[in-house]
Amino acid sequence: MEVRRSVSVLLCTLAFFSLFLTSLASAAEPDTYEVLALATRYMHDGNLDKALELFQKIPPPGKGEDGGVFVRARMEASKIYFIRKEYADSARMCDEILAIFPDNLEAGNILSQVRAAQTPNWLRFLKDMKTYLPTLLKASGMTLVLVLVTMLVSPIIGLFIALGRISRAGELSSVFWFYIWIFRGTPLLLQLFFIYYGLPQLGLTLKPFTAAILGLGLNYSAYLAEIIRGAIESIDAGQMESAKAIGMTYWQAMRRIIVPQTYKRLVPPVGNEFIALIKDTALVSTIAMVELMRAADQIFNATFNIFILIQAALIYLLMTSIFTISFRKLEDRLGVYEAR
Amino acid sequence: MIEIRDAGKRYGNLVAVDHVNLKITKGEKIVIIGPSGSGKTTLLRMINFLETMDSGRILLEGTDVGYGRDKKGRPVLDRPEVICKLRSEIGMVFQHFHLFPHMTALENVMEGPLTVKKKSRKDAKAISMDLLGKVGLLDKKDVYPAFLSGGQKQRVAIARALAMSPKIMLFDEPTSALDPELVGEVFNTIKDLAEEGMTMIIVTHQMGFAKELGDRVIFMDNGYFIFEGRPKEVFSNRMDNPRVKAFLAKVL
Repeated sequence: MEVRRSVSVLLCTLAFFSLFLTSLASAAEPDTYEVLALATRYMHDGNLDKALELFQKIPPPGKGEDGGVFVRARMEASKIYFIRKEYADSARMCDEILAIFPDNLEAGNILSQVRAAQTPNWLRFLKDMKTYLPTLLKASGMTLVLVLVTMLVSPIIGLFIALGRISRAGELSSVFWFYIWIFRGTPLLLQLFFIYYGLPQLGLTLKPFTAAILGLGLNYSAYLAEIIRGAIESIDAGQMESAKAIGMTYWQAMRRIIVPQTYKRLVPPVGNEFIALIKDTALVSTIAMVELMRAADQIFNATFNIFILIQAALIYLLMTSIFTISFRKLEDRLGVYEAR
Repeated sequence: MIEIRDAGKRYGNLVAVDHVNLKITKGEKIVIIGPSGSGKTTLLRMINFLETMDSGRILLEGTDVGYGRDKKGRPVLDRPEVICKLRSEIGMVFQHFHLFPHMTALENVMEGPLTVKKKSRKDAKAISMDLLGKVGLLDKKDVYPAFLSGGQKQRVAIARALAMSPKIMLFDEPTSALDPELVGEVFNTIKDLAEEGMTMIIVTHQMGFAKELGDRVIFMDNGYFIFEGRPKEVFSNRMDNPRVKAFLAKVL
């Protein structure tokens, strides 16, 4: 009887004691909310070391517990480390959050920023170049379309004007002279502005592409007309005479004898013009056309990555180089009838 | 066949051709000689309208051709179509050949029949191959002029003119631009043509043409005919015109 009583007393004492100890322990550990508030106050006061220490004291939540305070604390710590450029620690804070809450967007965001900050500039730039290469190439496609259409249209119009200028068809000739005077004598940029921004005021609104083709086409036709005229006039006068002597009309002689002989002589100066054209297409970026220059400009403004500009330059160089080589080959082929 | 009456041409104050009369009968070979700047070439070029006359008439088979008249009666060149038609019947060979450099020898010869006469490629080629054979250059048919010698070029040029089946051939110093050793081949080609009965006018400094081919030799100076006669008369010791004598003394 005595023994049973003493055992129960002991048990009661133990239970009470343990209860006491538990309450004592919880009283010794301060409330996490209070720690967070305190740490935040330190942070705002500028005592970042103390703030960091406190933020990191807040333990991960136990099973079933709310993790809000923990996440806030680690996030603030991560940001402080980030600002101090202590990227490894900043990343460690995010990792702690993500270990428990893998879907946490904010931690993920900061972590990727940390990773970006950790990679050296040149590596980031290279990555940008890889990322934006498809965009630049797509835009180069538009540049090429502009170049090819102008290359197709302007020699035809140019030849027509050149023949008109040479044939001394009075009024026609002065009209062509005026045309060449205007389009060779004013900046292409101004012509593009006039066509795209100016003509709508006169009731003619053009799509950017149409305006670009019109501007480039009119401008380059004027230049090519003068080049073609020079080439035709450089052909020996004896050619026209001998063509006439076998009974050809002026236009038959032009078509069969004179103009075909200009082809080889035209390749170097016309090739020059077309290479200038490739670069001049950059001007249409000012009239809402998205081509290589415009795309490069947009990406550069978003990334401030100088390599994007270099990359665009390389694409331009590639295009001009291909043209240079092709014209060289063409010149050789057109010159088969000449003694070397 | 062709007659030039009272033809005149001046460049500013310089009288190039001074009221010249010339009548050519079918099959006749006329050789015009004389110093440089005497108007020989200008006269020749007038006949196929590469030079226009300031005065005078050109008659073909007795009818006026190539010119209309303005109010003062001066000659005005006819419409281009008419002139082209006339030219297509007159062959011309130039001192400097003027072959079309972007065409092969064969293509040069074919060009007239093809473009002017609108013949089919097949027909034009047949005619041209025949003519290239005649001037002895069939093996060079696919060669561009730049790769031919001067003599070969001139023979292609002769074939090119013949391809239009002209009624008369005009030769403007055909051997003057040739190296001496190449003169022979061109001379022989023209001689063959003459022996076939082609009507021709040859302007030349090569006295061989006058001696061997000429039915009539004309000595021209200062824009008009100073002497006109048979080769024998010109090159005989009895020649008494002092200017002709002086000229011949220099060139022979």
